[in-house]
Amino acid sequence: MSATVAVGRARHVNVWSVIARTFLYSFLICLGVVVIYPLIWMALSGFKDNAQIFGDPFALPVHWAWNNYVQAWNQGVRGYVTVSVLVTVASAICTVLISAWTAFGLTRTKMPAKPLVVAIVLGGLMLSPTVAIIPLVKMLQALGLYNTYWALIILYTAFRVPFTTFLIRAYMLDLPGDLDEAATMDGASEGQIFWRITLPLCRPIIISCVILHVLFAWNEYLFAMIFTSGSDVQTLPVGLTSIMATHGTNYAVVFAAMTISALPIVIVFFAAQRYFIRGLSEGIGK
Amino acid sequence: MADLTLRQIRKSYGSVDILHGIDLDIKSGEFIVFVGPSGCGKSTLLRSIAGLEEITSGDLCIDDEVVNDVPPSKRGIAMVFQSYALYPHMTVYENMAFGMRIAKVSKAEIDKRVRQAAEILQLTKYLDRLPKAMSGGQRQRVAIGRAIVRNPKVFLFDEPLSNLDAALRVATRIEIAKLKESMPNTTMIYVTHDQVEAMTLADRIVVLKDGHIEQVGTPMDLYKKPGNLFVAQFIGSPAMNIVPARIETAGEVTAISHIGANKVTVPLATPASANGTEISLGVRPEDLFIAAGADYLFEGTVDYVEQLGEVQLVYVDIGQADLPLVTKLPGNVEVKRSATVRLNANPGDLHIFGTDGCSVLQPQSAHGQTGPRL
Repeated sequence: MSATVAVGRARHVNVWSVIARTFLYSFLICLGVVVIYPLIWMALSGFKDNAQIFGDPFALPVHWAWNNYVQAWNQGVRGYVTVSVLVTVASAICTVLISAWTAFGLTRTKMPAKPLVVAIVLGGLMLSPTVAIIPLVKMLQALGLYNTYWALIILYTAFRVPFTTFLIRAYMLDLPGDLDEAATMDGASEGQIFWRITLPLCRPIIISCVILHVLFAWNEYLFAMIFTSGSDVQTLPVGLTSIMATHGTNYAVVFAAMTISALPIVIVFFAAQRYFIRGLSEGIGK
Repeated sequence: MADLTLRQIRKSYGSVDILHGIDLDIKSGEFIVFVGPSGCGKSTLLRSIAGLEEITSGDLCIDDEVVNDVPPSKRGIAMVFQSYALYPHMTVYENMAFGMRIAKVSKAEIDKRVRQAAEILQLTKYLDRLPKAMSGGQRQRVAIGRAIVRNPKVFLFDEPLSNLDAALRVATRIEIAKLKESMPNTTMIYVTHDQVEAMTLADRIVVLKDGHIEQVGTPMDLYKKPGNLFVAQFIGSPAMNIVPARIETAGEVTAISHIGANKVTVPLATPASANGTEISLGVRPEDLFIAAGADYLFEGTVDYVEQLGEVQLVYVDIGQADLPLVTKLPGNVEVKRSATVRLNANPGDLHIFGTDGCSVLQPQSAHGQTGPRL
């Protein structure tokens, strides 16, 4: 009798478990469709002509017009991509190295008034870029950096260092101090400990920070619009608005340009996804 | 080969004093074990010797050279950490070679030394493995190997066995003892809170408490002639029984009485002024035996028996509140719970401690007292 009751209860639990799982999967699939479908639609529209975009917006392209992509690439996107790559890579390297070195100092060294220094560095998180624009414009003009790659590299680095330091510092706090001491006993200097012990062990969080920075720098619009005016130093977000202005009526080329601009970031994210999640969620294994 | 001399070593963190003027001489080739309860300062003392902690005051000399301001890597010291502290992203080979690579030793020499150490520690087939792919015991051997390749004058071990299970701890302890035998000229300093490790490995044991040295001596010295109540109870397992007592007749031999039974005569000389003085009588559980005749030291009822096979621990209530007398009897002796037993010990195995906790047997204590203070 009791065995029958137990089996019935187990079935009851199983039914609810299946229903809950079905709802969860349905929800996640819907969420995925909402996020992914517009991107696919945009990429597919890049292969259509205006008539098909407006006449049958949700259908597959009748003719796969690669020419739209070639046209977008040749009419400015190539230059914008180059600038974006340059600015993003340079600022990512600067940001991560400065932040890692700062985090190392804040976690591994005996410096006086360390809590105050931590507060000052992390206090940068609260600084809004918008309110600093006018002094920044004046300053960069005075330095002769206005309308150069350096303006964006410096600004992206400066405004991302607090957040990146915050992430790397949290990770470094979990690294066992014994490793530093063992390296000290082995005769390593602080610089050698940083480069040869701490930095390699921080690889997951460094990769996460690089991805986060790439996402930021690749899509950043405000600084790029204000601090660059020549088309030869403009990044993709600003360049795309120029393309929209130029090819305002040729939506297929605009969609092709948008797809090209989104592609690198999608590739980078999927390639490093494993490290990204690990870096943000996991400490070091003993 | 290196002699170590510690003179009035003090270490404070702000207003908190951790080490209160440690004086110690360690001879070249000695195996010294620092032992004591948690928070006694043993690890701090070891780290101060390593140079990982700055000494607040005092002098630390290696071979008569004051090394207070010498960086850790220049002291000729290697350290094995409690957590192994292996670099997780480096292979066993790279872990062992790291220090030499920093010191820019030639590749051929690095290779020779690493393979030599790996051979001694039976790590040759694991040289290409990452630490995470090794067991606790193997990691500990890598940590020792990393220390060996540097040819240190002084080896420091900071509780190296505490992360291992009981069986592996015994095996690794024996390996460390053999390692010491194979390096007779290397001075080794070993920190542990495990008195079995201390007793089995040490040439001399340094017992620490609250940042002071309580006693320094060979394992058997500490066991047979504990300098004070703390050492008496810390060394030996189960701990020495301490019973409040009084000196009835002082003289060439001392007659004492205590709660629970008879007056007993102990072969110790005490001054006449000690008559009537309250003291503590100490006797080790393994020194007690069932009294055969009417002559006995303690009488009480058996409170509890722990049968361990070869021996049994018998807890006897002799009227001491909350503190039964523990005796270690052979496992084949039949002892029933609630039975009345009479226990005796040889007078030579008894210890008397004065009101300040210092042993009458060992009037010269670590704190500098010059005679018994009863």
